Amino acid sequence: MKAFVALIRREFLEHRGAFLVGPLLLVAVLLGSTILAFTVGRIDARFSGALFTAAPMRIYEWGFLGFAFAWSLYLVATLFFYCADSFAADKRNNAMLFWKSMPVSDFTVLLSKLGAALTIFPATIFVIALLSGALLFGVAVSTSALNGGGGFALLGNVAGVYAQVAASLLLVLALGLLWYLPFMAFVGALATLVGRWAIPLSLLFPALLSTLEWVVLGGGWQPLSTRTWEYLQYRADFPLTQGYVEAWSTTAAPFSFAAFATDLLTRISWVQIAIGAVFAVVVVYLASQYRRRNNRD
Amino acid sequence: MSEPAAPIEPIVAARGLRKKFGRKEILHGLDFDIPPGRIYGLIGHNGAGKTTTLNAMLGLTACAGTIRVLGLDPFAHRARLMRDVAFISDVASLPRFLRVRELFSLLSSIHPNFSPDKAHAFLQGTDLKPELKIKNLSKGMLAQLHLAVVMAIDAKLLVLDEPTLGLDITYRKRFYRRLLEDYMNEERTLIITTHQVDEIEFMLSDVMFIRDGTLILHQPMEAVAQNFIQLVSNDPAQRASARALGPVFEETRFGQTVMIFEGVDRSRLQDLGALSSPTLSDLFVALMQRPTAIPEPTP
Repeated sequence: MKAFVALIRREFLEHRGAFLVGPLLLVAVLLGSTILAFTVGRIDARFSGALFTAAPMRIYEWGFLGFAFAWSLYLVATLFFYCADSFAADKRNNAMLFWKSMPVSDFTVLLSKLGAALTIFPATIFVIALLSGALLFGVAVSTSALNGGGGFALLGNVAGVYAQVAASLLLVLALGLLWYLPFMAFVGALATLVGRWAIPLSLLFPALLSTLEWVVLGGGWQPLSTRTWEYLQYRADFPLTQGYVEAWSTTAAPFSFAAFATDLLTRISWVQIAIGAVFAVVVVYLASQYRRRNNRD
Repeated sequence: MSEPAAPIEPIVAARGLRKKFGRKEILHGLDFDIPPGRIYGLIGHNGAGKTTTLNAMLGLTACAGTIRVLGLDPFAHRARLMRDVAFISDVASLPRFLRVRELFSLLSSIHPNFSPDKAHAFLQGTDLKPELKIKNLSKGMLAQLHLAVVMAIDAKLLVLDEPTLGLDITYRKRFYRRLLEDYMNEERTLIITTHQVDEIEFMLSDVMFIRDGTLILHQPMEAVAQNFIQLVSNDPAQRASARALGPVFEETRFGQTVMIFEGVDRSRLQDLGALSSPTLSDLFVALMQRPTAIPEPTP
């Protein structure tokens, strides 16, 4: 277990640019731009403060939810490229033989890469999302104060919203990662075989599979109207924005983590998550068997 | 009455080791044992099968036949085996994204027999500082670092495949001196391949020559010195007499005829010219020019 944790740490050290340095720079640029916009009068602090005072909770909720959604998208996209890169990185960096001189199996090494995609990287993005939210609230409270609003009551309410949205983001990240686990494992396994070509191939492969089904078993009027394609579309769609979020967005009620979590947990298919996890382990195992037999190229 | 000494278990034992890449057979059924506490030189020309043999020992490739390293099947139990085996296959293979201290910190968690204190001690007096990034190191510094890493692993077997490739003579000499002075002891076994045969000759206890996937020589260095004699002769009559004794190799150097004999009694040669032990590189050249045991098929 100690070695496995160290391997995950190694992944973090290797890819901290995409998951820590890059996002921190983005936050810094965003914050700097906001301060600059207020400083040069591009945004009227008094108007913004008035807006925050008129409907403070709604603005905070939407603002932080927007950030949370944006960081979730960033995480999904970055993890896709991470899997395509990291599973082939040892070969590309000529470090394969060094890692093979360590007393860890190829399966353990590849699992650690997937493990990093499920733990340390999402955790880093989660912390950065919290930081973004905190800075947003800092800006909002400051502009409210400039407009004569603010006070301890507002801060307390803001903290409440912050906690609700943060907890929701944590749940979405955890479930989203489990939901998309088979996709990550598939891209990673493909990268073990073909390196960075895994990126286009992983997009092409579902279409080829669907076409194959259409040719062999028949289907709709075109190659993508098959059961395979339908299933893949269903698996690619994380059921986030339907249900509670959709209903809440049309009401004035405050965002509730409890209601959101209850709704999301009942709508997600745990059978599909279990199938996806088994699929992930199988493809990573197959990739490790390939890696066992291929040391350089 | 004293008990008879128990036979020493070899560190590496290979029987009928074969390896094919596609339809081409690279190793043609190697049989050898490597006992503990020895320093082996595995020598052969490019494509002879040295690296494939080492890869088979290290569990990096699956082979036909049987090979056991420290009693384990290397391909089936590579991860377990690497607790007691260290190897350098390419000095450029260290992970470039790490700093030196990060590398040591990771290895102390990943490798149960790695000592970061020892690794730091090996780097004392060098230009390698913990904060340096590996990608910024010169080739010589990389070799020093990699050697420090493997020497800080308490291993029973150390395998070095062309460990000084691309290094200048200063670094090469320093590399081997440190290896001998700071690492080797009677419980450790070292297997080394290199094209710079003369540079490692002084440290070898045994030598294996491999040609076209077949072992053509596998002897302790003392036996090599006894079995092979080099004769340098200027006199045509002496040369003729010497030729009659069946040299394994003959060439002309600066107007002198040099012959190498195998298993010929020294007393029969001493009147035919100047006698000496051939250097390992001379012997290598001599034995590589014998007719091949398994000739390449004609296309």
